[in-house]
Amino acid sequence: MSEEDTSELQEDRFVPSLSESPYGAVLGSFSAAMSAVGTAGIGALMLLIVLDVIGRNFLDAPITGVSEIAARSVVAIVFLQVPAAILQLRLTRADFLVRRLQKSSPKTVAWLEALFCLAGAIVFALILWASWPKLLSAWQTAEFFGVQGVWTIPTWPFRGITILGCALAVLAALYRAREEIRSARSAA
Amino acid sequence: MTTLTVGFILIAVLIGLVLLGMQIAYALFGVAFLGIWIIRGNIDLSFRMLELTAYSGIADYLFATIPLFVLMGLLVSVSNVGRDTFEVAEELLRRMICGLGVATVAANTIFAAVTGVSIASAAVFTRVAVPEMKRHGYRPAFSAGTVAGSSVLGMLIPPSLLLIIYGVLAEVSIGGMFIAGIIPGLMLALGFVAMLIGITIAFPRFVLNDPDAVRERRMDRDFKPMPLRDLVLKLIPIVLLVVLVLGGLYTGFFTPTEAGGIGAFGALIVALSRRSLDRHKLWQVMKQTGVISVSILLLLVAASFYSRMLAIAGLPNAIAGLVTDSGFGPLGFLFFYAVIILLMGMILDSTSILLIMVPIAAPIAQGLGIDLMHFGIVTVIAVEIGLLTPPFGISVFTVHNTLNDPNVSVEQIFAATLPFIAVMLVVLVIVALIPATATVFL
Amino acid sequence: QQSLTVNIGSSHPEANIWVYAMKNTFQPEVNRILAENGNEYQVNWVENYAGTLYKFTDTREAVMDGIVDVGMVGTVWEGANMPLQNVTYFTPFATEDHRMIIEIFDDLSENLPELKNSWAENGMVHLSSLITDSYDIYATFPVASMADLQNRKLNAPGTSANWLRETGATPVDGALTTYYTNIQTGVTEGTLSFASGILPTRVYEVAPELTRVGIGSMYFGGIAANKDFFEGLPAPVQTAFREAARATSIAHGDYVGDLAARALDEMQAAGLTIHQLPDEEKAKWVNGLPNIIEPWLEQTGEAGKTVLKAYFSALRERGATPLRNWDEGL
Ligand code: NA
Ligand code: NA
Repeated sequence: MSEEDTSELQEDRFVPSLSESPYGAVLGSFSAAMSAVGTAGIGALMLLIVLDVIGRNFLDAPITGVSEIAARSVVAIVFLQVPAAILQLRLTRADFLVRRLQKSSPKTVAWLEALFCLAGAIVFALILWASWPKLLSAWQTAEFFGVQGVWTIPTWPFRGITILGCALAVLAALYRAREEIRSARSAA
Repeated sequence: MTTLTVGFILIAVLIGLVLLGMQIAYALFGVAFLGIWIIRGNIDLSFRMLELTAYSGIADYLFATIPLFVLMGLLVSVSNVGRDTFEVAEELLRRMICGLGVATVAANTIFAAVTGVSIASAAVFTRVAVPEMKRHGYRPAFSAGTVAGSSVLGMLIPPSLLLIIYGVLAEVSIGGMFIAGIIPGLMLALGFVAMLIGITIAFPRFVLNDPDAVRERRMDRDFKPMPLRDLVLKLIPIVLLVVLVLGGLYTGFFTPTEAGGIGAFGALIVALSRRSLDRHKLWQVMKQTGVISVSILLLLVAASFYSRMLAIAGLPNAIAGLVTDSGFGPLGFLFFYAVIILLMGMILDSTSILLIMVPIAAPIAQGLGIDLMHFGIVTVIAVEIGLLTPPFGISVFTVHNTLNDPNVSVEQIFAATLPFIAVMLVVLVIVALIPATATVFL
Repeated sequence: QQSLTVNIGSSHPEANIWVYAMKNTFQPEVNRILAENGNEYQVNWVENYAGTLYKFTDTREAVMDGIVDVGMVGTVWEGANMPLQNVTYFTPFATEDHRMIIEIFDDLSENLPELKNSWAENGMVHLSSLITDSYDIYATFPVASMADLQNRKLNAPGTSANWLRETGATPVDGALTTYYTNIQTGVTEGTLSFASGILPTRVYEVAPELTRVGIGSMYFGGIAANKDFFEGLPAPVQTAFREAARATSIAHGDYVGDLAARALDEMQAAGLTIHQLPDEEKAKWVNGLPNIIEPWLEQTGEAGKTVLKAYFSALRERGATPLRNWDEGL
């Protein structure tokens, strides 16, 4: 394993120190923890598929419900990772204009970035607002997916992850917005 | 104002926001939310559609393969399988004009048989091929462009995420799509090779910093050839992975959707057995997988919400009506369709384009008597060109991010991929005109 | 004249067996009836077929939330929220007559409080029943006896996996869209499915041996209207919807019947061989199944018992003889 390979894999720097920014530090640690759960989920998904294939081909014992479980998990993985992705600035965008402007007027760019972050906060707030009633009703009606008598899994933990992910995403986007506004002010 | 006009205005707003640099997922979500609210005059409906899309828009086994394909790519990369493949290709093609460029294409072609996403190829070969090409006198930007350009092979040669997604959307056999992709994929690879050689002879300054030094190295008789044993050893892991993924697929051991999981596991075994992975590094790779996957997957959720808004605006029906009324023949339609995809490819990611276009276009194509597998390959080639076209070309971005070299700008890489786009356009036209290129083995 | 906008939609395309009659009977019938009754009202249909607005997992919520006003609702995918409607999937080998299932569920959904309320609780009004034709085995091998099923892998998604319990066959997940590839590549060796679904997916090309088993026709779901929307309609329009729904039920039964018959002809012409599972083997299968209705009864409680009893007495009233009395001992 060569040196240049490791350098690219270092991505842990998005959590600021507690003294530097208590809000950012707490938010960052929480996001990192959620993201770690999501990451473990990807590994679990791989193992689930491998076990299903082996069970089906060699033991006549496939794991029932892999496709539904995988389907639900991939949504959970997204919402577990989103806050960290926002803090790490990893969401896909076409930034050619921003990069152009960066040299000539960094202040404009910072304000623009702050605006985008606010848009992100609004978007996740909307998803949060739209989704929480379904979490309540899923909890109350003990909603599940799967097949009665074969296997069933409650849906509320999955709906809960969406809510949690969105809530943290809103905070993360607001934190980023504050950072951008600060840098806009200091650029003045 | 008709809902259709609203629809077109909202598309324009989206393009504007994307060009300004807003995160594409935010722009898609926001514009679609407003769109549904305006068109149906009911904000509650926006909320309900948003909830449905967030909860089940990507809740599909198919999409669960995306992180697994990414994981496979990264594992193959840390275990240096990509580097070894490249080194063997480099060794064998030493005497060729533009040998390192051709080696990049060759290694990408083989690598494409284990990975299903182009960004994996782009990331791997940026680290493997670009430094090597730079060291031997190739222009850095051209090197980066070659990696970005040849990375598109990953999605045409099976297994391929785009072919899977097309197969699901058009309801055609995914196994069949994989077979249909083989010849066009090889045509593309050969086209790239011919183009690289041609361009090096015609415009050496476009390719090389120091043409003379490169020629000297090519003609050098004193180099020590790689021992055959090393060569074979370097090839074994990639061959094993190809056999595992393609062999397993075609003997019915697992489904195309499961190939991502099995391939990732195989790559993990390879990485562990080569001792290139300790616990800490494995965790880093997993985390990286999560970060890359989420940016793709969130985009997919957003794109699915956006395409539902377009459906409410009646846009798919309107476009279908337009095509039917225009009296296009099959070829005219294919041409028109490819142009639309190429335009969309400038601003949207490949999966979103498929999600938006295939449900509208596949029934029309079928009605015109176009074979849906052939249609799928045309679609995927056209979509893949979008990986390389500015302003939003994800392969170019991946190479640029991975390279992280202040002397190589995104614009330079975009410029260097132009010859690759030209080859892809030629292959696109050939495949469109000759359906047998896709369907001969079906 | 008053014009009403009605959003109608489905997760499946217009040619699909569950959508066909919505588009080709329900809509024109409503138009016709309204026109005949003095043209006082006119419906402006906004069509959202083929899953442009939502996926098959969301058919209930789409109608319930008013994303469409009228839609195809697959209760088969709603085991958690509408379990009562799935009674047929837990009581296989009841009847192969799909028209009978339509008739029974049109009746029960309107007149059995448990079923009617279940639709109402989910914010919907049931208009017309949707079904599948009878399930058989499409495979790479014929099934002459239960021994032939030993160690075979068959696509049997969701609740239908239950039907293979104790048969020695392994159920493998899948959907109509994946059967072809699964069988072609050898992931599975066949599937439990129905003729009208198999024909368009060309599964018979890779699974040329059909064994008629007669697992039975299943209640798939209903065409339903959003409750608030429906109650807000003027009375004459409501009546027109109801009348059109009756015509739709008949048209749906005919369409599935014709398609199934045509499917068998076309598939045979394309090389499909048809076998019949002998009655005594079929009896072994049915009686060998564990009590698969048990977990369903536990989940649905008293309401479930009522629905099961009503369903089975309706079957017997109409002259059907279910091969197993799943309602025994209630
Ligand atoms: Na590939
Ligand atoms: Na592009």
